[in-house]
Amino acid sequence: MAKAKAKARGREAELDSALERAADLLGRARFPIFGGLFTDIAGAAAALSLAETLGGVFDHASSAGLMRASKVMRETGATPASFGEVRNRADTVVVIGKGPLTRDPDLLDKLFPAKPGLPRPGDNKRELILLGADNTKTDNPKTPKGLRTTAIDGKSPLPELVALLAASLREGRFDLRDKALRTEIDETAARLRKSAFAVFVYDPAELEEPVLHTVLEMVRHLVLTTRAAILTTAASGNGDGVNLCFTWTCGLPVRTSFAGAVPQHDAWAYDTDRLLKSGEADALVWIDALAGESAVRPKGVSAVVLSANPGGAGKDDIVIEVASAAGDHDAALYLSPISGIGMVKAAKANKDKPTVAAALTRIAELIDERRAA
Amino acid sequence: MLIELRGGRIIDPAHNRDGVGDLFIEDGRIIAAPEGRTPDEVYDVTGKIVMAGAVDMHSHIAGSNVTLARQLMPELPMLAAQGGQPIPASPASWGAYATGIRYAEMGYTTVIEPAMIPTHAIEAQVELASIPIIDVAGLVILGNDDYTLELLRDGRGGGDELKDYVAWTLHHSKAIGLKVINAGGSEAFKFNDRKFGLDDEVPDYGVSSRAIVEAMQTAVAGLGIPHPPHVHCNNLGIAGNVETAVATLEATQGLPIHFAHIQFYGYGDGGDRGFSSGAPGLMEAVNKHKNATVDVGQVMFGQTVTISGDILRQFDGRRAANPKKWAINQGEGNGTGVVPYHYKKKSFVNALQWAIGLEIFLMAEDPWRVLFSTDHPNGALFVRYPEIFHLLMDKDERARWLDDLPDAAREVSNLAEITRELTLSELAIITRAAPAKLMGLTDRGHLAPGAIADIAVYTEQKNKTAMFSAADLVFKSGSLVVRNGKVVSVTYGRCYHVEPGFDAQIEKRVKTFYDRYYGADPSWFGVTDAVTHRRDRFATIPMPR
Repeated sequence: MAKAKAKARGREAELDSALERAADLLGRARFPIFGGLFTDIAGAAAALSLAETLGGVFDHASSAGLMRASKVMRETGATPASFGEVRNRADTVVVIGKGPLTRDPDLLDKLFPAKPGLPRPGDNKRELILLGADNTKTDNPKTPKGLRTTAIDGKSPLPELVALLAASLREGRFDLRDKALRTEIDETAARLRKSAFAVFVYDPAELEEPVLHTVLEMVRHLVLTTRAAILTTAASGNGDGVNLCFTWTCGLPVRTSFAGAVPQHDAWAYDTDRLLKSGEADALVWIDALAGESAVRPKGVSAVVLSANPGGAGKDDIVIEVASAAGDHDAALYLSPISGIGMVKAAKANKDKPTVAAALTRIAELIDERRAA
Repeated sequence: MLIELRGGRIIDPAHNRDGVGDLFIEDGRIIAAPEGRTPDEVYDVTGKIVMAGAVDMHSHIAGSNVTLARQLMPELPMLAAQGGQPIPASPASWGAYATGIRYAEMGYTTVIEPAMIPTHAIEAQVELASIPIIDVAGLVILGNDDYTLELLRDGRGGGDELKDYVAWTLHHSKAIGLKVINAGGSEAFKFNDRKFGLDDEVPDYGVSSRAIVEAMQTAVAGLGIPHPPHVHCNNLGIAGNVETAVATLEATQGLPIHFAHIQFYGYGDGGDRGFSSGAPGLMEAVNKHKNATVDVGQVMFGQTVTISGDILRQFDGRRAANPKKWAINQGEGNGTGVVPYHYKKKSFVNALQWAIGLEIFLMAEDPWRVLFSTDHPNGALFVRYPEIFHLLMDKDERARWLDDLPDAAREVSNLAEITRELTLSELAIITRAAPAKLMGLTDRGHLAPGAIADIAVYTEQKNKTAMFSAADLVFKSGSLVVRNGKVVSVTYGRCYHVEPGFDAQIEKRVKTFYDRYYGADPSWFGVTDAVTHRRDRFATIPMPR
């Protein structure tokens, strides 16, 4: 750890000294937040452990979409498919909104590879439907060659497009002045009904809860007669990985507080921004240590910052430069191609800086020592 | 440090031992009585029952499938607690930490996670490593994956390639054995089949369930893996499915095989309601086929959630979801289905399921082949084990429970006529000696010198629920971890796996396969020693040759 940089109150500091100051601050904190959490599974586990010890809150910077998806899951369930199943077996893929293609411009090439995939149900040709994906703009990804693609945009907002498709899918009665849109919607619904495996792809961060419910209702309707599923875009900053780790440990999603006798989840109450603005939280641990990604930090609040790129830290921060997951060290992260947690090798191993897990574990030890003294 | 447990009643059926004596522990192992040495610590366990730490051979405690269930049902512990189940009313109660703590308090020291998904093996292993105290091992799922099916379709299933693939998969996920769940059925579901029997064929592949199971039996036997294929048959939970189970038993070719949670296959279709106990016929077949072992999958009344790689069955079971929500994850190979379920005492079907499980235990001629499980959490949460021990060991307790059941269920059950009560030795067989032996964990499940010092000490009581809910003392690898039913020291155990060896060519073939079909590299989901950040986390078990 000797070569890692650290700062305390705007001045260069030895790493050990910064860790000590962080332990002092957190040991006194009444209600700290562990936020950002752009880290690997080991870092998340260490943060969770410390949050639990201190009676704090655990939230991820990309949790907005995760919160919606997890709430809908708790209320009605879900029917996800793995990326590999969709790539190989879906005959109708409906990309909803702009989020999926913005997050991964190569998504369509990955879902529709040129070479034939594994045996799949039915004998339909594969087909892509872009629903409100606004693919006509030049900066959006092109669709794979030879793939039959229908782009439905119209002038309707995305929730309305989804609702129209859901209504048409059930062959319900509804009026629509835009006859061209009506035709596209009805044809798409008909295609879905005759699909052998239809999949709706979306980013939960882009769709509001009622829309998520509508999509899942379409799946539940389709599975009465055929196969259907959803494929969601992973949250940035290893949000899905951090959320899974939190769930297997505590049985709850992130945005959970350890202040009470049992962990309590509340997507509104334990939102980092809200807790900081309201002044309920009195300390922030901000973790931003993933190769190639950066968490957007709340403004105007000093923090204990564990960052792989600590340049932008404020003068009142206690800053600990840490190794970047998948950059400086091997890291367990959520990987979309396997729809689960996998291991990513370090781009260039660097053991001079502590990992998030090591730094937090040391802070926890220091707090324990102070409490025992 | 030399530790002595003095004067307890030592129950060690692996060595036909049931008598008062002393046990000595040093360096984490049981040792023979040392001559001329004074123990550093002595525990007077006079009048107590001393057993090996219990081994749970089939309990869904970790992995992406279990966490999917946690995402769907965070309220499970609260609902269970409200219904009187012995579990704290906190969502964290079925998290990783609480799982290890509660197992230890009951005297369990090793638990097998029976359904690791190969591509999610890292997740399962990281999660398992966060469970305190207990040692663990995992079974990895094959049989519905496209690589296996491609080999079988192309007539390459009987050769070395399938063996190499099985060995590579075990190595890659650091698993102790192979699980086969509704062989071919989950894949057929992906082709929109909604029923799949033993001789049905997977669409496009033309491979039957029977062929998949046979191929896996041959591969596992050929590799010398101690634990035989751990098979979840077709048609789980369906009235009349006892015929499927018996047919699958008949088809085992004399090769070793393990059938999981057979209670769920013990169903006849007789009687006015078309649902009856198939336990007598099933147990006649189990008793006859000495190559087969089973675990029971006992049902208990109350709220739980079912988790299974049998997505075909789970999809059908969604209609009985309680609460009304469900999740079907259509992943590589089997995928996962999660359906909440509430077993109700007043339900004819549930009551009969409960009775059938107990009948199976009590009709077993050889307890070494009929092992304990609830298929946690599918039949019941593992915190219910002590109640089931009580039911197995006390016919009066069974009678009390039977009195509360619907008349219709009592009338078609055979349970009231069964007077057998399991002895402490028999309980030690089905919860310790037999599962350890069956998994190839030769260093546990017994109390001979050389065994790992996993020991549970209980106060004998007529109320077996109370007796087994809280061990007086539990030693894990020689360290005292539980006293008076409460954890006093939080340690972390090891994960055991096999390393059968394989031709390196298989790695290239699998890499090519994953690259082409999934755009993925198998190294992304390969479990290495480094994935858990715990030193010496992984250990191989001996492979008999």
